[in-house]
Amino acid sequence: MPKGRPIESIIMTITLKNVSFSYTDSLYDAVIKDLNLEIRSGECVILAGESGCGKTTISKLINGLIPLYQSGTMSGDVLLGDKNTADMTLAEISRYVGSVFQNPRSQFFNIDTDSEIAFGCENLGMDPEEIRERVNRVVKEFHIEHLAGRNIFHLSGGEKQKIACASVSATDPEIFVLDEPSANLDLKSVADLAEIVARWKKAGKTVVVVEHRIHYLRDIADRICYVKEGRIAYEWTPAELEAKGAEYAASLGLRCVNLKQLNEMGDARLRGHDKKGVIAGEAKQSLNEILVFYDLHFAYNRKFPILDIPTLTLPWGQITALIGHNGAGKSTLAQVLCGLCGAWRQKRKVRKYGAYLIMQDVNHQLFTESVLEEVLLGMDPPNEKAALEILVGLNLEQYAYEHPMALSGGQKQRVAIGSGVSSGRDIVVFDEPTSGLDYRQMLAVSATLQKLAASGKTLLVITHDPEFILNCCSNIIRMEHGKIAEQYPLQGNQEKLVQEMTTFSFDCLG
Amino acid sequence: MKLDPRTKLLLTLVANGMIFTAPLAYSILMVLATSILLIFEGKWRFVCAFFFVYLGAGVFFDAVKSLDIGTSGTIIVASLFLIYRIMPGCVVLYYVMTTTKVNEFMAGMSRMHVPNKVTIPLIVMIRFFPTLFDEARDIGHAMQMRGIRLFSLRTLTNPFSILEYRLVPLLVSLTKIADELSIAVVTRGLSPETRRTCIATIGFRVQDVIVFVYCLAVVALLCGITPFSVILEDGP
Repeated sequence: MPKGRPIESIIMTITLKNVSFSYTDSLYDAVIKDLNLEIRSGECVILAGESGCGKTTISKLINGLIPLYQSGTMSGDVLLGDKNTADMTLAEISRYVGSVFQNPRSQFFNIDTDSEIAFGCENLGMDPEEIRERVNRVVKEFHIEHLAGRNIFHLSGGEKQKIACASVSATDPEIFVLDEPSANLDLKSVADLAEIVARWKKAGKTVVVVEHRIHYLRDIADRICYVKEGRIAYEWTPAELEAKGAEYAASLGLRCVNLKQLNEMGDARLRGHDKKGVIAGEAKQSLNEILVFYDLHFAYNRKFPILDIPTLTLPWGQITALIGHNGAGKSTLAQVLCGLCGAWRQKRKVRKYGAYLIMQDVNHQLFTESVLEEVLLGMDPPNEKAALEILVGLNLEQYAYEHPMALSGGQKQRVAIGSGVSSGRDIVVFDEPTSGLDYRQMLAVSATLQKLAASGKTLLVITHDPEFILNCCSNIIRMEHGKIAEQYPLQGNQEKLVQEMTTFSFDCLG
Repeated sequence: MKLDPRTKLLLTLVANGMIFTAPLAYSILMVLATSILLIFEGKWRFVCAFFFVYLGAGVFFDAVKSLDIGTSGTIIVASLFLIYRIMPGCVVLYYVMTTTKVNEFMAGMSRMHVPNKVTIPLIVMIRFFPTLFDEARDIGHAMQMRGIRLFSLRTLTNPFSILEYRLVPLLVSLTKIADELSIAVVTRGLSPETRRTCIATIGFRVQDVIVFVYCLAVVALLCGITPFSVILEDGP
C-alpha cells in the first residue's frame, strides 16, 4: 500500500448516469429514479428538497455508502473522475471523498479531539510526522485551538461538528459531502460552518451539501438542485431562487434563502392575524394573566452560577420563545422548571406543578408498547376515554394501538406531547422542536403547538429557528450568561428579533 | 506517567484473574499497584472514595460473619460479597478505560499482531460506554418526569415494567447510534484491510518494566514460587 497521499490535486467530476436505487429488492418502489447529475470539480452544490425526497440517498451514492454499505437494488453508474464507485472499496473512496453527517453525537470515534482529527489520516497509513503537521495546520485553519486535547464528550454540538469537519479536512480529500450538517446547530455554529465550506470552496474542492436551510450558503453555493421524488426537478443559482421570493421557496418546502426576508413574512403573518383578530387580540388582553416563578438558581460551583433568575414570568396560555447562545443556560432553565435538576426542595415543589419537557430526541421519552399506553402511563388515575380524546386532538387516534417506535419523527413528537398533556401539567417546555425539519414539517409543528396553547397550556420553546418564532410564538425571552437579558412581545418587535438573531451570526463571520 | 497499552492489558488480565482464583490478599496487591498508578494520573479522589467504600465493606462483612442472620439474610450478604470481590477488578478496569486513548490501544493491538477484525469491535466497546451513560441519563430524566420511580406502587407490583421502560428506549437509541457510528467509521477509511499508522508513540519504558515485573511477581507468589516472595516483601 502506498504511503501518504498518492494523488496531487486532480480534476474529479462526479457523474451520476441513469441511476436508480431502491432500499428494497425491486426497483419498483425506487427512491431514486433514473437520475442524471454532473457536479464539476470545484463546484459547491446544494441538494435541497422535502424530507423523504431522496436527497440523502444521493449523498450516499456519492460517498459510496450505496452500493457498498447499504443493501438495496441499484442500476446505473456513479463515477468519481473515471472510476466507478461500485468497483472501489470504501477505504479507497475515503481518500477522495470526505463525509460529514447530521448527528454530531455519533460521528466521532475517539474520545479526545486530537486523535479524532488524526483518525482519518492514520487510516490512510500516513507518516506520523506528517499527520502531526496536518493536525496542527487544520487546527490553525479552523481556529479551534481552544478545542485541542479536549474530551469530545464534553463539547457542545456545534463544537463536535467543527471537529468532524476538521477531521475530514485533515485527509485533504477532493470532494466533501455534507448531509444536513446544520440540523442540530444554533445560528452561531451555522455561521462557523458557512465559513468552513467557503474555505473548502476557495481551496478548489468540490462541496456537496444536503440541506433545507439554505440561507447560510447563499453567498457560497454555485447552484441549488431541488430534488423531488428521486429526480432533480429544478435547478437555480441562489440569486435566482431568492428573486422568486420567500413564498415560492416555502411552497416547495424549503426554508428561507435570506433571513432578512423573514421580516416581511412575519409582518404578513401578524397583519393576517390582526384581520382575524385572533391571536393579536388575545395577546393584548391576556398579558395580565401571567405565571410567575421565583428563585430559579442552579450552580455546579457556588461561585459560578449557571442559572440565576430571581423571577421568571410567562404569559398564560401563550407560546414563549427562549433564545440565546449555546451555553447561555437555556437547557438548564428548562431542566430546573421540569424538576430534573436543582436543589431537593426545588424538585419537590416542581413535582406538583412543574413543567413537562419535550426533549429534542423524543426517542428517549417513549417507553411503552402502544401509543395509547404511552398516554395512559402518566395519568393518575388512568382513564382510557380521556386518553383517546387527547389522541384525537393530536390526530393520532388511528395509531392508538401501534408501537410508538414504528411512527415517523413528527408523529413520535406528537405522542410525546400527548404524554405531556396527560400528565396534567400546565406548562410544557420544548427543546428545539424544529431542528432539522423542512418548511412543511415546521408548519405542522407550529400548528400543533398553537393548538396546545389554545387549549390552555403555557408553552416555553427553546429554539434557534427565527422562521419558527415568527410563525407561532408571541413572546420572546433572550438569555445571556444564565440571566434573562430581555423579554418582549413579538408583536411590533419582529425586526428587532431578526436583527438580533442574524447580526449575531454575522458578527461571528467577520 | 504513561504506560504502554500492552502493559495495561497484562495488568487487567492478572487483576481479573486474581478475583476468583486467589485469596483476597492478591486482589488487594493488584489494587494497591493500580491505586499508585491512578494517583500518578491525579485521580486521588477516586482512590480515596474507593478505599473508603472498600474498607467499610470489609469491616461490615467481618461484623456480619459471626451473626445469625437467617437464610434470606445470608443470600443478600452473599450477593453483596460477590460485588465486594469484583470491586478490585473494577478499579483496574476504570484505570485502563480512562487513561487509554483509542488510537494507542489500536497501535498496541497491531504490534501484538492482533487482526483488525478483533480490535475494531473492542474499541467500539470502549467508545460505547460513555454514550451508554449519556443516553441512560436522558432516559432517567424522562422517566422522572413521568413519575416512574424505583420505589412506587406501580413498579413494586410489576417489577419488570421498570426494566422495560429503561431498556426499550435505550436499545432503540443505541441501535441507531451504532449504525451511524459504523457509517462514520467506514467513510473514514477504517476497514479490516487497512494498515494504520498512529500518531501516539507507544513503547516500553522503565515504568512498564516495573509494572510487568510486579504483575509477574504476584502471579509467581500465587503459584508458590517462594524466592520471589522474599523480594516482594522488601521491594515495591
